[in-house]
Amino acid sequence: MLFLVASGFLLAPLAPVLHRRWPRRAGWLLSLLPFSLSAWLFLHARHLEEGARRWVYPWIPSLDVALSFRLDGLSFLFSLLIAIVGGFVVLYASGYLEGHEHLGRIYAWLLTFMASMLGLVLADNLIALFVFWELTSLSSYLLIGFYHEREAARAAALQALLVTGLGGLALLAGFVLMGRIGSSFELSALEPQAAALTSHPLYAAVLLLVLAGAFTKSAQFPFHFWLPDAMEAPAPVSAYLHAAAMVKAGVYLVARLTPTLGGTPLFLSLVAGTGALTMILGAWLAYRQAYLKRILAYSTVSALGALMLLLGLGTPAAVKAAIAVFFAHVLYKGALFLAAGNVEHGAGTGELRLLGGLARAMPLTAFAALAAAASMAGLPPSFGFIAKESLLAGALEVPPEAPWAAWIAVAASALLIAVSLLVSWRVFAGEAGKAAAGAHEASPAMLVGPVALGTSGFLLGLSPGLERLLEPAASVVTGAPVPMDLALWHGWNLPLALSGASLAAGLLLYAGRKQALAALGALDWGRFGPAVWYRATLKATLKLADVQTRLLQSGYLRGYLTIVVATVVGLLFFGGLRRAGWQLSAPAEDPGAVETLVVLVVLASVAAAVVSSSRLGAIAALGAAGYGIALIFLLAGAPDLAITQFVVESLVVVLFVFAFYRLPRFARLSSPASRLRDVAFAGAVGVLMSLLTLAAAGSSLHEPISNYFGEWAYLKAHGRNVVNVILVDFRALDTLGEITVIGIAALGVYALLGLRRTGGGA
Amino acid sequence: MPASYIPPWEDLLRVLPEIVLTVGGTIAMVLEPLLRPEKKRRLGWLALAALLVALWATAVAHVFAGPAFRAMIIVDGFATFFRALVIVVGALAVLCSLNYLERERADSGEYYALVLFSVVGQCLMAASNELIMIFIGLEISSISTYVLAGYLRDDVRNNESAIKYFLLGSFATAFLLYGIAWIYGLTGSTDLSEIRRVLANPELAPAGALVGVSAALMFVGFAFKVSAAPFQIWTPDVYQGAPAPVTAFMSAGPKAAAFAIFLRVYMTAFEPVASRWEPVVWLSALATMLVGNFAALVQNNLKRLLAYSSIAHAGYVMVAVTAHSEIGTAAAMFYLVAYAFMNVGAFAVVTHFARERERYVNVDDLAGLAQRQPVTAALFALFLLSLIGIPLTGGFFGKFYIFKAALEANLYWLTGIGLLNSALAAYYYLRIIVVMYFHEPGEAAATLAPPAPALKVALWSSAVATLVLGVFPSLVLDFAGKSATLAR
Repeated sequence: MLFLVASGFLLAPLAPVLHRRWPRRAGWLLSLLPFSLSAWLFLHARHLEEGARRWVYPWIPSLDVALSFRLDGLSFLFSLLIAIVGGFVVLYASGYLEGHEHLGRIYAWLLTFMASMLGLVLADNLIALFVFWELTSLSSYLLIGFYHEREAARAAALQALLVTGLGGLALLAGFVLMGRIGSSFELSALEPQAAALTSHPLYAAVLLLVLAGAFTKSAQFPFHFWLPDAMEAPAPVSAYLHAAAMVKAGVYLVARLTPTLGGTPLFLSLVAGTGALTMILGAWLAYRQAYLKRILAYSTVSALGALMLLLGLGTPAAVKAAIAVFFAHVLYKGALFLAAGNVEHGAGTGELRLLGGLARAMPLTAFAALAAAASMAGLPPSFGFIAKESLLAGALEVPPEAPWAAWIAVAASALLIAVSLLVSWRVFAGEAGKAAAGAHEASPAMLVGPVALGTSGFLLGLSPGLERLLEPAASVVTGAPVPMDLALWHGWNLPLALSGASLAAGLLLYAGRKQALAALGALDWGRFGPAVWYRATLKATLKLADVQTRLLQSGYLRGYLTIVVATVVGLLFFGGLRRAGWQLSAPAEDPGAVETLVVLVVLASVAAAVVSSSRLGAIAALGAAGYGIALIFLLAGAPDLAITQFVVESLVVVLFVFAFYRLPRFARLSSPASRLRDVAFAGAVGVLMSLLTLAAAGSSLHEPISNYFGEWAYLKAHGRNVVNVILVDFRALDTLGEITVIGIAALGVYALLGLRRTGGGA
Repeated sequence: MPASYIPPWEDLLRVLPEIVLTVGGTIAMVLEPLLRPEKKRRLGWLALAALLVALWATAVAHVFAGPAFRAMIIVDGFATFFRALVIVVGALAVLCSLNYLERERADSGEYYALVLFSVVGQCLMAASNELIMIFIGLEISSISTYVLAGYLRDDVRNNESAIKYFLLGSFATAFLLYGIAWIYGLTGSTDLSEIRRVLANPELAPAGALVGVSAALMFVGFAFKVSAAPFQIWTPDVYQGAPAPVTAFMSAGPKAAAFAIFLRVYMTAFEPVASRWEPVVWLSALATMLVGNFAALVQNNLKRLLAYSSIAHAGYVMVAVTAHSEIGTAAAMFYLVAYAFMNVGAFAVVTHFARERERYVNVDDLAGLAQRQPVTAALFALFLLSLIGIPLTGGFFGKFYIFKAALEANLYWLTGIGLLNSALAAYYYLRIIVVMYFHEPGEAAATLAPPAPALKVALWSSAVATLVLGVFPSLVLDFAGKSATLAR
């Protein structure tokens, strides 16, 4: 199993090498891998009835993250289709991009993408699933941006990555929460805990986060806008990512998590509601597009909405329908995208206005497209017919909570019938368009895919035994065996009648498209659409960033100091002093006359330092203040400290003088207003520090260390002078250190002196 | 008191990395005037050798794990983890510097000695279990880094960077020291375990408001060193102005060591009063992420952009600190390792690309690099993807681990905003990738010479480490998880 997932990753780096070696045959060779993977999967199909099979490879045991894979009905169906379509797409790319210098690179990315997708649908561990989920986003970014010379392709690629990336982060958060509630990341361990999960207070948060991930990936409203823009990608990429595989990841996730998180009113209203809205909106937008690929993109959005609607409804009939619609959609939409690629390639344009009557020049492409479109429109005997019947049946059987589901399904079907005519009949039949003149049929490599997918989608409706493929998938979602009856004829019933009605309406819509667009075209939704919001948000964010940066990062040191000081004052005031459970107390004894005098001198020196207009004066005043404080130490009975302070102060003054000597003259650069502000800040700091000092004086601190020295000075060190004993005995090493420091500082002063004498230096 | 001043040999073994590095740095200083200018490069190799021996010494010290020098130093898993990290960062920085200094004609033993001394300080920080030791380690590391920031004396950008770093740095350290003095006054000890014992004991505990004051003062010092908001302001100017390899060094090593002491002090000594400091750290984490990411969005200078991004990454680690749990500590540890490799790697590319006098440091200069030097561009893209947090890179599991820890500590809002920030960050990192891959080569990319061998080693080892951390995170994760239980 690990090989199944890893083989794509392993082969990817070799793809460019193979391409260089055999430029013509590389595509055929590389497509062998996906085809053989699907063959392997097919051989495993018979085990499905025995239940799910698990493979566990330990990865990060401490975080409960394992590479565990599960092959059951659901993952089997998805991985089989991913592998088969992947094979056709690789083959198709070899023709579509023949001679392109970076064809090897696109092979590599396609294979990487396929492997990530396989990992995603097979993973049984939420975190492993997420890792593969992000890898699909990343590889799709590279694939969408393949035509990177085009600005639009780059913007589209970035947009797709940002939208799905944002959703991916939400998904991760949701997964972590799920893991926390269920204390495991293993899906198979979480499923039995569904009841606990859905009744947990965080359930709504989990569901919203997970759905945000699923909706962005599967282009649900209001995140649908990235998908049509991503049509800048080469056709095989669109066929693979935007029809068959990547956009289905969100649908897969919702299906996979239905047994774990589903079945609640919230789930129903969110998933079904969003799905219904997306379905009808996508169909309408598809109907009014002018470019082939954009039509297909919006119709894909609509189909994804239908899938979400059905999964949200969650009844057995709806789930059956979801699986059938999914299966039909992969086949016909893959074929249509590839056919659209052939048209662009052969006729040189995808603009609907210029196309028409291409069937003569491109008979095989036309055949594939018509077969696929028949399936899309739901005409018998195609598989699409069965899918549509079950879709309508599923929507009709709906619980009373969602009576609108059937109406929306019918309306969207009608629009999609018109759309399917647009992309097939309009392009291949009728009068020759302007672009038909030079059109030519595509090469064999480009025909295998569309023809195979298109005809199989058309004919599978007749084939028996499909139930064995689809039933297990539906059973996994509902949690109980669901019998499926995939016959074309169910008798005269309501779905058939609705189907007929939608067909008639669709034909009308196709015939009257010009009039309908003219009538409704005035409503330009684009101006209010989410794409506009996306751009506005992006712009506003950048603007905000600009303003913030200019405010905070002025580049001026004093600005930075102001921020630091203001924060400290705020932090200390609100963090501690405000709620002070202690009192500010004045010292017990009044200061003596000498102390008062010294303090006055210190204050005067500080004032002088502030107002002094020369640097030298300011430095001298600061030195005086420092000496004053040292004197206070001396008076308070700490001569060792005082002496150190004296020496340090002297040194600092000397160093300052030498360092400041070369600076330009003092100049007043700041305005009176800013000086006033500085005064306020400085005052706040002063007040704060005074408060802190008073607090320190008022609180009962631990026993002073001097008692210890006084007690032991004579007994241990045989000295009567306590200060001497401290300096040369108790703290002899400290003293040595201090002497060293002062010695080195003196050396520095000497060096500065020398520098001055020679006038050198920089 | 025992009269012996000769420490037991276990104690010496426990500081063996510091001894090795100090000896190495001193030898470099002594040899410096004796070597002819063209031979000074050898001192770089000497520094590299010293760092590698120190790495070995770290392992030796870990074998003899335990407290040393009256429990001022403690060698536990946590200490070993951070020692190894800062030593590796130092080695990568030396590898990046070799060619840079030659290019700027500034090869000198002084530079390598300063790097070694700075690493000594960081190792001490990682292993100290006592406030004075922490302060000494911090100052050894900081002062060396101040000088390194202004190493190219004739370059005004270097001058501005160094003076800003020094002035603001000393200012912040003063607050830290004041806080240390306060806590000593309140509890009568500078030993973290002892402080914890006093604070946790309701009979001994001093007034909560005063403990809050000292915790707040120390927070100022630590927050400045890890560049957490609102003390991040110095970072962009200093990172932009300093020589590129020094910035690479500064953004990883000293920051990791500062987080080590931050975690140790707040997870041991101040852990009993966690409810008081948690809101402050919460707010700071939030502001750090926002300020860093928002500012990075609009930068065009690569060094400045990476400086802001490094602020944002400090914010993510702050989220882990806010969680104040063992898994939070482990998450912070893992993240710092992942961050160190991806960030040093990114700066190594900038060092390589900037060329003489750092002419090319704008994002637009990178245009078309992928076409001229596909390997360099791919490595840079790898580092950037890891910075975004894309799976299979170290950055992903780092973020995952942090946000998991935060959710387990019920920090829902902080996690949510952190995740949104990651999305924001993706935008500016991707812009660089787009320019490298999707734009036509400009003059800067066209004239780029292939990277020198030493730089290649730095680039490749960072890249391999980033990938290994993303694919086999258990290698580091398990050690971090085991070491997150701090001595109390």
